[in-house]
Amino acid sequence: MSEIPQSLFWILIFPGFLFTVVLGLVASWIVRKTSALVQWRVGPPLYQPFVDVMKLMGKEILIPQDAQRTVFLAAPIVGLAGVLLLSTMLWRITIDPTRPFVGDIIVAIYLMVLPSLALILGSSASASPHAAVGASREMKLVMSYELPLVLAFVVVIIKTGGQISLAAIAGHVPVFSVSGILAFLVALLCVQAKLGFVPFDIAESDTEVASGVIIEYSGALLAIWKIMQAMMLVALPLFLVMVFLGGFGTAGWPLVWGIGKYVLVLVLLILIKNTNPRLRIDQAMKFFWGYCGLTLAIAVILAAMGNFYHIGWL
Amino acid sequence: MNWKIWSLKKSPWVFHVNAGACNNCDIEIVDLLTPKFDVERFGIKLVGSPRQADALLVTGVGTRQAAKRLQEVYRQTPKPCVVFAIGACACGTGIFSNGYHVVGPVDRIIKEIDPNAIIAYVPGCPPKPEAMISGVVKALSAL
Amino acid sequence: MNQEELNNKLLEIKDKLTGIERKSDKRIYLLCEVENSYAVNKFLFEDVGCRFVIATGIDSDNCFEVLYHYSYDETGCVITIKAFIRDRQKPAIQSLTPFLPAAEWIEREIHDVLGIDFKNHPNLRRLILADDWPAGVYPLRKDLS
Repeated sequence: MSEIPQSLFWILIFPGFLFTVVLGLVASWIVRKTSALVQWRVGPPLYQPFVDVMKLMGKEILIPQDAQRTVFLAAPIVGLAGVLLLSTMLWRITIDPTRPFVGDIIVAIYLMVLPSLALILGSSASASPHAAVGASREMKLVMSYELPLVLAFVVVIIKTGGQISLAAIAGHVPVFSVSGILAFLVALLCVQAKLGFVPFDIAESDTEVASGVIIEYSGALLAIWKIMQAMMLVALPLFLVMVFLGGFGTAGWPLVWGIGKYVLVLVLLILIKNTNPRLRIDQAMKFFWGYCGLTLAIAVILAAMGNFYHIGWL
Repeated sequence: MNWKIWSLKKSPWVFHVNAGACNNCDIEIVDLLTPKFDVERFGIKLVGSPRQADALLVTGVGTRQAAKRLQEVYRQTPKPCVVFAIGACACGTGIFSNGYHVVGPVDRIIKEIDPNAIIAYVPGCPPKPEAMISGVVKALSAL
Repeated sequence: MNQEELNNKLLEIKDKLTGIERKSDKRIYLLCEVENSYAVNKFLFEDVGCRFVIATGIDSDNCFEVLYHYSYDETGCVITIKAFIRDRQKPAIQSLTPFLPAAEWIEREIHDVLGIDFKNHPNLRRLILADDWPAGVYPLRKDLS
């Protein structure tokens, strides 16, 4: 019976909710500060994202009259639950690799879809034409990048010889090979789209659809969306690090290496974010289905060949 | 101090409303939000929806057509919120005092539906971005 | 065509005008009565090939005036057609929208604020006055209290 308080502790305090939220808000501060420095300005102080969430908690919640109340209120919570489980799982596997279960990469991919799905549901329940446009764009975007993302992970699974347990995959470093690099680059761009960063922030584009998907959310519900985005900023790069870059150590030198790898992925995301304009939805779809699909087809063939002929660097 | 007011002072998100302005003040507001003045240091962010805003930057004398819409936008902004009347026209109808289309300066329109509204005035035609920053800082520190 | 040819071309409709004023080299006013304004406008737009810029409505001493401004881009000449509407009780003028779609909105605006009726206008609805402004009250007329 001591499993239950221990599991609750893992999920709610460390390494679950509290830990990931704090880390996520610090990561979002890193994103804002780096963007500011790239634009030659000062940028917000360290406590800014925390104060943002605190302020949102203190404002009143307004629900539109025509909105579908149940879905409107439940959607942010569903998204938060998905990210929470994903980040808890990833941290548990990092900290304690002796307790994995086979097939957990599939669970991770499944959980990663939940936040995007929640966004679509929440905006569809908002009874606003702007939200409807945002929802349709988000749906098209999700349909475009999910397949390349899964294919990139399939490349890694092929390269590691059919392992589908994250702890085992984290032992390898597939990025030091041709197909691995291709898959890593495509996965990076898919994560950029999932996080809603420029050039793929089509659903939440401020200037085009007046905040798109979350236009009708205010107060504590908006705070939940912001916390969810902050937690995704921790979970998704961590997932990329574990799958492609060889995992995250827990003590001493591997820990520093792990933090370095995570910061590298974060910096790549920030740099792509700051140097690109926003794409239209049809351009984004063409990009993911056309270029990324082609690249990944080549990567899968190379990985299979490399595995078959035992050539390590293919 | 109340934690709600303290966090509101540290992170005021703004939404821009044009209630019949000549666009001069609107151009200055957009200038204000560019990297040169860097208002993100104060936590100020431009949001695309009044439901996410803490401060409404209202420009323009309130025309008959815009008055009802301005009241609707104010109602959609979750309280507590601050209304900034930017420019001479918004503060007190400016040069359009006796115009046929003028229903009153912005504070009269807002106080019609909420007598306890918090309104701050930033005069100028148009006010310089530095004046607007100083107005916002003074208003927030008086909260 | 250059400025001289333009000047000569404008003399072709001299019989429909009541006067031609040249305020300067590149600024020409063609004065006409309300009945001929449609024909003069059509001539300037289609035969001479000028570009329509904007229209103005004026409440003068004893008449209404509707000015149509055109630009002849090759020489930079601005030509204005002044149409005098002598009937102050029920001012009306032929609308240019059938052959000049660009004039639709400016004619709606002049109708809103001055009350000049544009005959054959496809869409003479309220444009710039507020929704709850009383109909029949024209704000820019001089006799408004």
